[in-house]
Amino acid sequence: MRKDVARGIVSVVAVLVVWEILARVFLENDLLMPAPSGVARSFWKLTVSGELNRHFAATLLEFAYGFSTACVIGIPLGYLMGMHKWLEEWMDPWIATLYSIPIITFVPLIIIWFGIGMLSKVVVVFKITIVELILNTAAGVKTIDPLWLEVSQSLRLTRWQTTYKIRLPAALPFIVTGMRLGVGRALLGVIAAELLASNAGLGYLLRDASETWDSPKLFVTVLLLALMGIVSFTLIKKGEQKLAPWRQTAEW
Amino acid sequence: MQFYRKNSRAVNKALSILSGLVLWHFLATVIVADTAFLVSPLAVLAKGYEMLFVTGELYPHIFASSGIFLYGYLLSIVVGVPLGFLMAFSPAVRDYAHPWMTTLYTTPRIAFAPVLLLWLGIGAGSKVAIVFLGCVFPILINSYYGMRVVNREFVELARSLRLGRLAVFWKILLPASVPFILAGLRLALGRGLTGVAIAEWFGATAGLGYLVYFAGQTLNVPVLFVGVTVFGLMGILGFEILRKIEVLATPWRSSHSG
Repeated sequence: MRKDVARGIVSVVAVLVVWEILARVFLENDLLMPAPSGVARSFWKLTVSGELNRHFAATLLEFAYGFSTACVIGIPLGYLMGMHKWLEEWMDPWIATLYSIPIITFVPLIIIWFGIGMLSKVVVVFKITIVELILNTAAGVKTIDPLWLEVSQSLRLTRWQTTYKIRLPAALPFIVTGMRLGVGRALLGVIAAELLASNAGLGYLLRDASETWDSPKLFVTVLLLALMGIVSFTLIKKGEQKLAPWRQTAEW
Repeated sequence: MQFYRKNSRAVNKALSILSGLVLWHFLATVIVADTAFLVSPLAVLAKGYEMLFVTGELYPHIFASSGIFLYGYLLSIVVGVPLGFLMAFSPAVRDYAHPWMTTLYTTPRIAFAPVLLLWLGIGAGSKVAIVFLGCVFPILINSYYGMRVVNREFVELARSLRLGRLAVFWKILLPASVPFILAGLRLALGRGLTGVAIAEWFGATAGLGYLVYFAGQTLNVPVLFVGVTVFGLMGILGFEILRKIEVLATPWRSSHSG
């Protein structure tokens, strides 16, 4: 086994053991600090009752709807923005404004506009993801190597062929980077929206657990969210490495 | 026409902003025509003016949020930069910290807010902690990378000049990693502001996040927009300050873009 992996495992196990001992022997306060074993028990209970499944599915669905819609609209829009300077100049002030304001502050507004149901969460995910996608796709299209375009010209490729064979593949790594940035921020956004007003989803569970002082349940939710973050981040990072092995991807 | 050709970029941007605002105004006053839903930018401006210069009620919120932000941000620098350096110098520290950093960094931060509230109460402590949690990782990771990718030739040159370990650190490693740390500070700025907004949703009685939250709960759309705008302005101000610092701190770099 690689040394760094072994150290990582040692670190995780050690902290869990210390936490368990601390929680059982010294603190003995389930409210402040439930032991890992208690959290695991709560996790099992919530899974068996189907409660966890329901909330997890709600969040995942909201996320999937918003994310896929943002991809369908955002990538062509970013592409056009990268191709046409006037469009970029017209869109830039608004995109920049949307980008520089903390997303979270929009959430109350989006809930007023789209209600406390599923739609408002889908819109939050959509809004966050599309900004990242537009910016990164446009950057990808703009930074294409002019040599490739010259080659496509000398090969007499049509406009469509140039788009499909040259420009889009060149922009693909940028698009995936946009997706990676979008996933992280959109996950935060959807949880925030659920926390503010909803009746399902992991954000709702978070609020429910903290308002009923059910700490094991709270920790289960936090753990699940951590898992979601790690899995989505790892998957996209893998995709990034596959699509653009020449680019150094972030370790974190 | 000549003027347009010369300044097409600025003109297009100005036209875009202007037409967007006009469109917003008509959408709000003619089509939606419901102040509980959307208000004209003029109404937002009027409300902002009132809150700033007539009632002055905006200032306590700005002060509260700025305070929390600055404490969390500075704490992140004080903790993040040395920890990043330590991880760069010691592979063991890096390997042991790695799984926890990944977990804490990729988890949606809002998940920790109720836990921190439970541990630290509804006072300033939990809010500063939430901001800290948002800011510390970009700073830490960038300090780490900065220290790692310092040009080996610089270090070798320093060695051949028989500089001591401390001198190498102060004269070579630290200055070379400054641009990276500044990039981390830029990333942390946006995340910190988001952190402020999240923190003030929970049991706060002042602050811009509280203002936005409360306005949302009471369907007070003008105040909501004022809060969102002030957040945006704080972000822009922060970026400008960081850019000034960057020019001052790295005078040897010729071009400063973005």
